[in-house]
This record gives sequence, structure tokens and C-alpha cells, in this order.
Amino acid sequence: MNSLPTAIRTVRWMVRDTFRQSLASKLFWLMLALTALCTLFCLGIRVTGDDEKPRHPDQLPTYMPRSEATPEVQAEGIRVVNGEVSLGFGLFTFEVGKHRTDSVRLIQLWLAGVLADTVGVLLALIWTAGFLPTFLEPQAVTVLLAKPAPRWALLLGKYLGVVLFVALHALFFVGATWVAIGMSTGVWDVAYWLAVPLLVINFAVFFAFSVFLAVCTRSTVVAVFGTLLFWVLCWAMNLTHHHMVGYEVQGVTPLSSLSVEVGYWVLPKPLDLSGIFFDALRASDYSTPIPELEAMKARGQFHPELSVLASLAFAAAVLAAAAYEFRKTDY
Amino acid sequence: MNCAAVFDQIEKTYTTGLLGYGTGVAALRGVTLNVPTGQVFGLLGPNRAGKTTLVKLLLSLAEPTAGTITRLGEPLNQRRTLGRIGYMHENHAFPRYLSASELLTFYGGLSGIAGEHLPGRVDHLLTRVGLADRRSEPIARFSKGMVQRLGLAQALLNDPDLLILDEPTEGLDLFGRQLLRQVVRELKAAGKTVLLVSHVLNEVEELCDTLAVLVAGTVVYTGSLATLTRDPAGGKRSLEVALKPLYQKEVAA
Repeated sequence: MNSLPTAIRTVRWMVRDTFRQSLASKLFWLMLALTALCTLFCLGIRVTGDDEKPRHPDQLPTYMPRSEATPEVQAEGIRVVNGEVSLGFGLFTFEVGKHRTDSVRLIQLWLAGVLADTVGVLLALIWTAGFLPTFLEPQAVTVLLAKPAPRWALLLGKYLGVVLFVALHALFFVGATWVAIGMSTGVWDVAYWLAVPLLVINFAVFFAFSVFLAVCTRSTVVAVFGTLLFWVLCWAMNLTHHHMVGYEVQGVTPLSSLSVEVGYWVLPKPLDLSGIFFDALRASDYSTPIPELEAMKARGQFHPELSVLASLAFAAAVLAAAAYEFRKTDY
Repeated sequence: MNCAAVFDQIEKTYTTGLLGYGTGVAALRGVTLNVPTGQVFGLLGPNRAGKTTLVKLLLSLAEPTAGTITRLGEPLNQRRTLGRIGYMHENHAFPRYLSASELLTFYGGLSGIAGEHLPGRVDHLLTRVGLADRRSEPIARFSKGMVQRLGLAQALLNDPDLLILDEPTEGLDLFGRQLLRQVVRELKAAGKTVLLVSHVLNEVEELCDTLAVLVAGTVVYTGSLATLTRDPAGGKRSLEVALKPLYQKEVAA
């Protein structure tokens, strides 16, 4: 029996099993229901207003809704836009100082960049945190471990199963909301689809840490709370680094500076992943969601490719550590 | 003598405490044992004697602290030999979201049974253990006896050369017990090896050719049951095992 085909076969069977587990736990339908709810919300959006005009790179992109634009304000060079956004099939309507396309992008930014990327990823981490500890219970796993399948492949299969499950839902979410927004507003911005890989990478990186905790402790509680704490730590490290570097904060000791720099490059970078998505939707044209990130970009210190690669490297290292721990654990 | 399993001076100490740096608890102390091929070999002993630990070492579920084990003629690091072993243990916790046929298909796939043979093998085994008419039902609805029978079916999936039964009759119904005896006899007739772990003497007496008695992590007897129970004076003798409370605590893994 060749070891590579055995490992591939093991991973394939574990992925299939994880999908069945998710279907049985109703998690699949719960996540689908949330996507349906968001799709319904998107179908209820109406955006009217001026179309986007070609803009000179040096032009100040400052706009204001007509109702707020006094003659004095207009005299300052701030342009007036006839923008209106309506939510809930006309239930709530408000004026906006943005072009139609920018209004739609802002909604997409909130949907995928904030709601899905933060609330969605955290909920997915909480809901799937029990998969590994359940799988690793001695009475459940011993029969599996007595099969001629490598332990690392069993673990990797379970991990990939969960990640693929979340990827499928990210695809459903982004696809359904993109179509719904397109149908209701007429704006079909393909940049929105970048949310799928970014959501999956964000989840995959933190779920790797959850797997590591599950292997070490076999406890769902530790996996849930440990991962949430770790997520907060990574956000804080990411934000602190960008604040220090972006704003050239003075009075920081070399040791603190080095610690933050090392911490930033070693740990996952959720803020940077959001930043990549914000850039894709040209968020800086109509909002400044993360000032620290803008400061980093202004200094030419933001390297999205390196950031993604470093986050993925962290996930790979943590998974390897989990596989090592799993291999040497007695059952 | 051909042996399905050879244990040579096996020691196993479980470490407790934070990150495994606490006190060691000895579960096996210098166990040397041969399980001959083609026989039904009984491993007898009181609870917490180290029987299950010995099985776990044989299945690579745990690492021995010292000593060497040969499994079907190969060292333990050759995991492919696990593909020739069937394992049934007393407390299965199968995924409750699977049906009986899904479970056997899943385990059969992991055992390396080719896809084209798998459905037929699953059907055959479900019929064999009397669960053919419940094949599509989730395991969550099964009684303990049915789960045990399903456990036996999964152990037989790969037509094993060595079948390990760890306290197999725990929770097994009458039909299941009869089936188990029949399976063991058939495997023996086919030249396969069965390692039966039990603390019930009757069970071992009925099925086993040879047995080893394990007490507090040490083999105290190896041979036939007839020799064990034969009194040199011509009559029958009984085997009495007494464990000191402190020692019982020590071997508790």
C-alpha cells in the first residue's frame, strides 16, 4: 500500500464525512438560512443617484447629499450628489453624498468586509469548533486510528473538510448577495467576488489554531474561547503595528518595536485581509474604514501579498504542530 | 512458530500532570508474549490489568515506553499491516449522524477496500450481523447490542488476518453473542488469528486455544486453559487473583 495514495484517500473520505457531519448538525441549513436572510436584505435595496464620472487622480473625492449642501459648502468645492439609498423594499430611505456605484460598493463593503469577514467568520469558528474535539474523543477515534490511514491525513482531512464547508458557504453568500444586489441596483461589480478567497483564508488561518487547541486539549470550550481570544490578539497586534509604523509613533523602546514587528509578521493578519478587500472595492474613494491601514499605504509599507503569505505560513506551521501532537498522543 | 503478534519486554508508563511531565503510572511491566498465527488467543485478566493497553500498543494507538512489538511479521511503524487487522472494542462511539451502511462504507474506504468491492462487502456484512433491514437508519436509533454488532461488522470489513476483540460481549445481545462465536470459529477454520481480550473466564474457555493471564501489567501465565486448570495431583484447580488496593490504583491508566 503506497503511502501517498493512502493519505489522499484518507483526506477524501474525511472531507466527505465532515460534510455529512455538518448536514446532520443542521449547521449547513443554519448558514444557508443566514445567507438567505442577507440575500433578501440585498433584494430590498434600491440605489438612485448620479452615475460615476471619470475622476482625475488628484481630485478631492468629497461629495455631499443635496439636502445638506448649503451654498457656503458648495463654494468650498464640495460637490453635490443626488444620491438616495432605500432599504427594506422602501421601508427606510436616506440621502447619501455618493455616486450610485460607490453607494453599492459601500453596502458590499459592509456585507462582506464587515458582516461576513468579522461576524460571519467568528460565528463559523464558534459553530465548527466542536467538530475536532468530537472527532478526537478516545471512544470515537480509536477505531479510526486502528485503520491503515496516517494520523496526519485524518487530521488534515477533517480540517480541509471544515474549510471546504465554509468555503462553499462563502461562495453561496457572496454569489447570492452579488446577484441580489445586481438585480436590485443594476451594479454588477466583480471585485466583490474577491471576498470569497479572503473570507476562506481568514477562516482557514484561525481554524488551524482552533484545531491545534482541540488536539492539545480535546475540549470544545477551550477551542472556542481560545480561538476568539487569539483572534482579538491578532487584530490588536495588526492594528498596533500599523499604528506604530503608519503614524511613526515616537518614544517606543527598541524592544517594544521589535516585539510588535515580530508579532505582526508571525501572527495572522486579519486587518490586512480586510484591507485587501477594501482596496478591491476602492473603499478609500468613499470612506476611510481603517485609518491605520491608509497611513501604512501612504508610507508604502503595506505589502498585501506578503501579508497573505505570512498568514498562510502561520496556518501551515500551526497545523503541522497539531499533526505532530496528534501523532504522538496515546489513545 | 509463526506469530501474528510478538511482544518483547514491553513496558508502558502513562505520564500524568501538565504536559505529561507529572508522575508516571506503570500499566505494563516487561510483558513478553507471542500470539501464534491461526489460533484463537485469549488475553485474560481482571479489570485494569493492562489488557487494553497491550492491544492499544499492538494497534499503534499508543507508543510503548520500552520493548519491541512485531505485528504480522513487521515492526509497528509499518502502518500498512493495520490494513490486515480488524478491531472491535467494547465501547464504540460511532458517528451518530451516519447510517449503518454509510458507516461501513466510510470505514471500508479508510481501510483501503477498493470502491468497486465496497458496496458488496457492506451488504454482505450487514446481512451477516442481522442489520440489513436497518441499513439506512441513523446509528443514533440503534440499541447498544446493534451498535456492537455493527462494530463487529466494521472489524470484519477488510477480511482481517488478525481480528482483535476487546471485551466483545459487553452489551452484546444473545444473537450477537452467538454470531460472535460463529465468526471466531470460522476465522480459525480459515487459518486466521483471533486475539480475544476478556475478563470473563467462560468466554475465553469456550473459544480460545491458548491464553495469557495478565495481572497488574505482568504476564503471570501463558499456555493452554487445560494446563492452567489442571491440578498436578490430577484434579481441577482454580486461579485466584487478588489485587492490593494500592497496586490497583497504580495500574489505573
